[in-house]
Amino acid sequence: MSGFLLSWAATVPDYAAPLLIAALGLVICEKAGVLNLAPEGVMAVGAMTGALVVMGGQGPWTGLAVGALAGMALSLCFGLAVVVFRADQTLTGLATVAAGLGLSGLFGRDAVQKPFTGLPRFGETGWGADLPRLLGQQNAVIVLALVLMVAVGLWLGRSRAGLRLRAVGEDPAAADVAGVNVQRVQLLAIAASGLLGGLAGAYLSVVSAQVWVEGMIAGRGWIVVALVIFAGWRPGMVLVGALLFGGAEALMPRLQAVGVAFPVYIGAMLPYALTLVVFVVAMLRQRGADVAPAALGRVFLRQDRH
Amino acid sequence: MIASMLRAGAVLALPFLAAGSAQAFELKAPPKIAFIYATTVKDGGWNEAIDQGREALADELHTKIAVAENIPEDATSLRNAIDLYVKRGYNIIVGTTYGYSEAMAEAAKAYPDVAFFNASGVNNSDNMESFYARTYQAWYLAGMAAGDMSKTGKVGILAGFPVGVVNWDLNGFARGVQAAKPDAQTIAVFTNSWWDPVKEGQVAEAILDQGADELATNLSAASALNAAEKRPAGAIGYQLDMSAAAPKQIITSVVFHWDKYLVPRIKEVIAGTWKPEPYGWFEGLSSGVVGLAPWGPNVPESTKEKVAAAEKQIIDGDLKVYAGPVLRQDGTEVVPAGKVLPEEDLWTMDYFVKGVIGTMPKTQ
Repeated sequence: MSGFLLSWAATVPDYAAPLLIAALGLVICEKAGVLNLAPEGVMAVGAMTGALVVMGGQGPWTGLAVGALAGMALSLCFGLAVVVFRADQTLTGLATVAAGLGLSGLFGRDAVQKPFTGLPRFGETGWGADLPRLLGQQNAVIVLALVLMVAVGLWLGRSRAGLRLRAVGEDPAAADVAGVNVQRVQLLAIAASGLLGGLAGAYLSVVSAQVWVEGMIAGRGWIVVALVIFAGWRPGMVLVGALLFGGAEALMPRLQAVGVAFPVYIGAMLPYALTLVVFVVAMLRQRGADVAPAALGRVFLRQDRH
Repeated sequence: MIASMLRAGAVLALPFLAAGSAQAFELKAPPKIAFIYATTVKDGGWNEAIDQGREALADELHTKIAVAENIPEDATSLRNAIDLYVKRGYNIIVGTTYGYSEAMAEAAKAYPDVAFFNASGVNNSDNMESFYARTYQAWYLAGMAAGDMSKTGKVGILAGFPVGVVNWDLNGFARGVQAAKPDAQTIAVFTNSWWDPVKEGQVAEAILDQGADELATNLSAASALNAAEKRPAGAIGYQLDMSAAAPKQIITSVVFHWDKYLVPRIKEVIAGTWKPEPYGWFEGLSSGVVGLAPWGPNVPESTKEKVAAAEKQIIDGDLKVYAGPVLRQDGTEVVPAGKVLPEEDLWTMDYFVKGVIGTMPKTQ
């Protein structure tokens, strides 16, 4: 039993890390008032680019970095449409998903199912061979994700720039009057979310699977969207949510492997059902309005300022 | 694509819809061949295996074969593609997924002078034939190798969804394992997705953590084999030869050779001697469409010999994978000793055989 729990616990961070990274990006973006449904597409581009770079002979860190930049590039296209041209954020987000999936399929066409050597786990490196399993199963990006979480939390909550960003998400008109460049803040927030979304995607191909397949994000981008709502746009809660979602996903196959009769379809539904419950509870307690950035999804036009 | 192809088993109470007359089909114009795929052909799995068959066919006939990719499995999309091909004079059209079944049958009715084929489909008529392979026979052989090589007495296999054509692979594998080592257990886990290399790698590790020392994948991601390579544990792939993903630990892969069906079949169509099988074309090891890839470096000679002997017995018809006694996981009897599982019960297989550790979700 303890062996079962230990091996399960050791794998949870690998499930949770990409969700955490992408969700942190999304928190930044949505705290600035931009409703962003694009993660699935952004992560797809990040995964494909990261894999191609590593297959091209570069190291895994280069792959992760270039994957992150590719995610940012796609995210900026989204930003251009919604911030500069004021397109509808929901529709543009969905279009960005389609574009991301299509682009990754197009450029990754000849790279499908070709295994490569990605980022090693601590236990696979020379210095980490003797680490206990719980640590040896982890990798450097997981550590980076935790650092990012703390940094994003502090930056959003404690810094002047973070305050400005939140002001834009709560009341862009007021922020505008106070001298904040609303469009620039939103564009930067969208760029940051793309960077982290791309990194999360590249994590999946370069660290987790070490192979690329079209459509390999497999709905994780949507889980990220749900996760951010679940977490109430708070970085600390994003970690809790990522561990919960990742832990449940990691548990399912392990229960099957020991023959426990667990309803797998209910298990697969759990993250989404949980999000709905949290959402409904938040609304019932009339906290909903406080939890979500007040101007989320609203297009800010300066001439409409009241 | 593969997803819906495998859903076939779940829906299929009656196996194949029968065709009527026994007239040979004749082309009215010079042959022009087109293949229609539901996804990209470069999927490293099901579609790529069929596309290799298409390439072999093109080489053999010294002709070009048109390819349409990413044609969704809905009636309108497929019909548009077929209409366009027929207008341009194509008269042999091959589909590659169960999801095309109904729409293609409609098109076959509308274009009686065009020959239609559909991989893993269910419809057949005077000018249409569905085809699939008895994959469970090859999985039985793969299971024998894994069981024979296992030291812990536990082997594992991961798969997509619990539908008939997947379950018969898992059970065939488990029975092969037991044929080599009667008390060995087979851990079977469903990932509940067809396309998720991240999950497949993680599920592979979950199985290995439970003590399996040989691991097979009924899906096509290299990540599962990669997990076995690192452990190390023996690895068995599917659809294509996946030895590149586990060069040291690979045992073999269950592979398709669709050219063995497509080349002679299309030649018959061109020669005017083709009579569609009324219940679809459904063959196994003896036809060569399914089999094992070359052995990996660690496979002992004794294992190879045992598997070769069983292969010969299956081809000769002396060994039936689902010959009784077949017991369910809980010990209840499906097929008594001396009987063989009826053909139509293959498609509706919704249980694990005895010796499998795993959860078969209830369908009702």
